[in-house]
Amino acid sequence: MSVLLMRLQSDPLRARLLLLIGLWIIAILAVSLLSPYFLQASTIPYLLQYVPILGLLGLGQTLVILAGGPGIDLSVGSIVSLVGVSIGAIMTTGLGVWPACAIGILLGGVLGLINGVLINVLRIPSLMATLATMFAYGGLALATTEGRPIGNFPETFGWLGQGDTLSIPNSFLFVLIPVALVLHIMLTRTTIGRHIVACGNDDRAAHLSGLNVVRLRIGLYVLSGVLAAIGSVISLSWFLAARPDAGKGMELAAVTIAVLGGTHIFGGTGGIPGTLVAILIITTLQIGLQLANISAAWQLGIIGVLLIASVASFGGWRQIWSAKR
Amino acid sequence: MSIAADTRPTLRLSSPTATRELYLFIAILIVGAGFSFASPYFLTPINLIQTLRAALELAIVSAGMTLVIIMGGIDVSVGGILAVTAIVIGKSYQAGLSSFIVAPIGLTTGTLLGMWNGFLTTKLKVPPIIATLGSMYIFSAIMFIVIGGAWISGLPGTLSPLVNGTVLIIPASALVILVVYTACWVLLRKVPYGRHVYAIGCNETSAKLVGINVGRTKIATYALLGFLAGFAALLYVARLRNVEINIGTTVALEAIAATILGGTSIRGGVGSLLGTLLGVIFIRIIQNGLVLIGVSSLWETVIIGSLLIVVLTADALRNRNSPRV
Repeated sequence: MSVLLMRLQSDPLRARLLLLIGLWIIAILAVSLLSPYFLQASTIPYLLQYVPILGLLGLGQTLVILAGGPGIDLSVGSIVSLVGVSIGAIMTTGLGVWPACAIGILLGGVLGLINGVLINVLRIPSLMATLATMFAYGGLALATTEGRPIGNFPETFGWLGQGDTLSIPNSFLFVLIPVALVLHIMLTRTTIGRHIVACGNDDRAAHLSGLNVVRLRIGLYVLSGVLAAIGSVISLSWFLAARPDAGKGMELAAVTIAVLGGTHIFGGTGGIPGTLVAILIITTLQIGLQLANISAAWQLGIIGVLLIASVASFGGWRQIWSAKR
Repeated sequence: MSIAADTRPTLRLSSPTATRELYLFIAILIVGAGFSFASPYFLTPINLIQTLRAALELAIVSAGMTLVIIMGGIDVSVGGILAVTAIVIGKSYQAGLSSFIVAPIGLTTGTLLGMWNGFLTTKLKVPPIIATLGSMYIFSAIMFIVIGGAWISGLPGTLSPLVNGTVLIIPASALVILVVYTACWVLLRKVPYGRHVYAIGCNETSAKLVGINVGRTKIATYALLGFLAGFAALLYVARLRNVEINIGTTVALEAIAATILGGTSIRGGVGSLLGTLLGVIFIRIIQNGLVLIGVSSLWETVIIGSLLIVVLTADALRNRNSPRV
């Protein structure tokens, strides 16, 4: 037992993962007490349906925060909205829906590139820069459509967002899982992954040892934009409509997921598995409260508390507690 | 950057904020001239007084936001503080209390909510952006749960002379703004507390080493912002006599934009209240003018966001050669 404890202390990431899985089990127990409908086999595909969009945003956010700086991307929700209405607009010109999606994903990359340049080349603090682009992108999505959603998506386009294979949603099976796997391998098994962690730990040292910190971080903001754009495509395919406020509030959920998943807010530690479990926790609470017919406002409150609690340092309390023992 | 900080009490034209104030003033004149050329209604006394009244709450909140940002912090939850306080005020009025009791209740509520943010950032060591993001979630959850999607309406307007009245041809709202800004200016420039705020914004570690009680100063500053948001909520209720569900959604971002436009450095240590007031006027004039020339109000966010990006970029380019801290 004590050996296990010591091993956990030397590997904070694994300890965090165990803690998160424990939290998830508690969340499942809590919502099944609230609603008798939760603990049923039919809940699983329903729950997984909600995971991919937020999941992609959370993964992008994890990498941006992990690379340090301190980095954060508050514009992802607005990118979801803006890319969505752009794809809708491109489609009305007569182009097929899949080419339109490809252009949309490219647009997501460009929007991410703007963030990356503002933050890393012009050295505007990431928080301020992405707050401004959140305004600009989100406002652009609303203003160009005058707040009206764009419909007219073909039924066949629903395959990605509505269809399922072996009763698992396609968007989860064919998008989120591969993306998470690729990112996890990139982070743990390749030099790029090491470089990201190195930048997050000490960007000065990383720069002095020859890493191109600026290029790496810009790349991650582009990745975050691309992942948000893919999330937008899934959302379009799910609802077969582009709402100009589709991504509203998602940036906060994405940041919550990343830091709850164990990514240090100033970078340097963190990983994909933690983020994935964090998404499951948030989605479980969301679906459970929905099934129990509890106001969506409680979700907001719980996410807020989780966000603060996962960053808060209870060091002072821990000292008092251990002194008492 | 902090090396360039001018913390001397006298305002000299060579100080970094004074040149910004001058530019902003010229920009307001140019934009105002443009709008009065485009619309005959712009330069009428009624329209200008109306714009001033619409700027009242933002101006009050922005004064507190300036202090917080000079201190190197940020608060994105002020909209939530304003909303929760307005609801407390509305409920107290509905319970039959008179304005003499409701006003102190409102101000106390705002101050306590501000102190909560200060507590999170100092005692739990949560970075201000994360702490206030989480608080914003929690505050809006409280708001939705309490008022449940309905307006609180039919409230008494006993305090409305503060907004709508005139004292010897001077609009009362102008006097309220004057009093608030003078009080904050005295706090910032004439008493030791203001020195401490600048010092913490320049370099928190040094401030601590010199013997400044950093924690207490921070909590006091967040509490001051909360107090001002509570005051703004009182005026909001007096002006509109109801509490809408979308109250306060844009206040935080507009206040941050006004502060940054006014020359306060997002990295802390530099900033002035006069600049912020000019920033508020600039934002409100643009909003008012756009409505008068028939541009959809949905474009406001795009314009504020883009303006913020332009100003941040200009600041970044100007400071490129100054040493990084």
